[in-house]
Amino acid sequence: MTFLSALLAAETAPAAAPSATPAASAGPVADITKLFGDFGVDVHHLIPQLVNFAILAFILYRFAIKPALGQMEERNRLIEKGLADALAATKRLTEAQKTADIRLYAAADEAVRVVAEARATAKQAVEAAKAETQAAQTEVIARAKLAIEADRVKMFDEVRGELSRLVVETSAKVLAENLDDTQRGRLNEAAVKQLAAR
Amino acid sequence: MSAASVRAEAKRLLSVSLEGGAVSSERVGAVVSSLTKSRPVHQLRPLLRAYLALIRRELAAGEARIEHAGPLAPAAAEAIAAHFSQVLARPIRPVAKRNDALLAGFRVRVGDDVTDLSAALRLENLAKSLS
Repeated sequence: MTFLSALLAAETAPAAAPSATPAASAGPVADITKLFGDFGVDVHHLIPQLVNFAILAFILYRFAIKPALGQMEERNRLIEKGLADALAATKRLTEAQKTADIRLYAAADEAVRVVAEARATAKQAVEAAKAETQAAQTEVIARAKLAIEADRVKMFDEVRGELSRLVVETSAKVLAENLDDTQRGRLNEAAVKQLAAR
Repeated sequence: MSAASVRAEAKRLLSVSLEGGAVSSERVGAVVSSLTKSRPVHQLRPLLRAYLALIRRELAAGEARIEHAGPLAPAAAEAIAAHFSQVLARPIRPVAKRNDALLAGFRVRVGDDVTDLSAALRLENLAKSLS
């Protein structure tokens, strides 16, 4: 900016005072040359310096800036890829979280259902066990009653048999002791009549 | 000889031994003497055993074996035998034997048939009905 302001100032100065001094009437090229000389620019060295600068710029661009730009682009690409991957991972994580939540809810529902079924099954098992126990108890009681009744009948039969045996034995002894031949003879005659009546 | 032929021969000998439907001791003696002369010993023994069993059965079928408690008049025994003669349609003779274990009454066996009119049987039946 300063360099351009100096060029403009150098352009307008002769117009304002065309014949102020003889040196100034040498032309603008001499002024520019003088100005470059004041700023330390040597015209004879300018072109080699420009060439050197161009070579340096080319070398820098070829071996430093371009690889650096490539690496930066690669870094940027990697970063973008990483960001995209991170975004995709976040998305997948969110989806996975949603899926996990859904599955968790489903599992919770399933657990509730399983618990309810287990409770129902347990209740049914308890009821069945109660019924079975009740039936077994009733059966045992019935069997016990039958056994008691059978024992009672058996005992009654034994007592009755024993009593009848005693009665018969006693009757036989009484008959054997008290019947004499006369009575037996009469009984034999009665038996003969009974046989003949058949 | 087989067992069947022995039984058949014994039955034939028994039919020869009967006289008027009853066993005749004379005929039995004749049969036995004939057998001892005509048959070898190994054939004679089973034949005589079967013949003896048939004779015993035939004699038992013609006898009324009367077991009685207390006295039994001969007329009563004859009446019993006459009853079985009439029922079985063959002559039956009484064989009486006292057995006071019957308490009263009598028991008659004719062949395989038994008729019991004793007090002991009635008491036994009473005991069975009560037990």
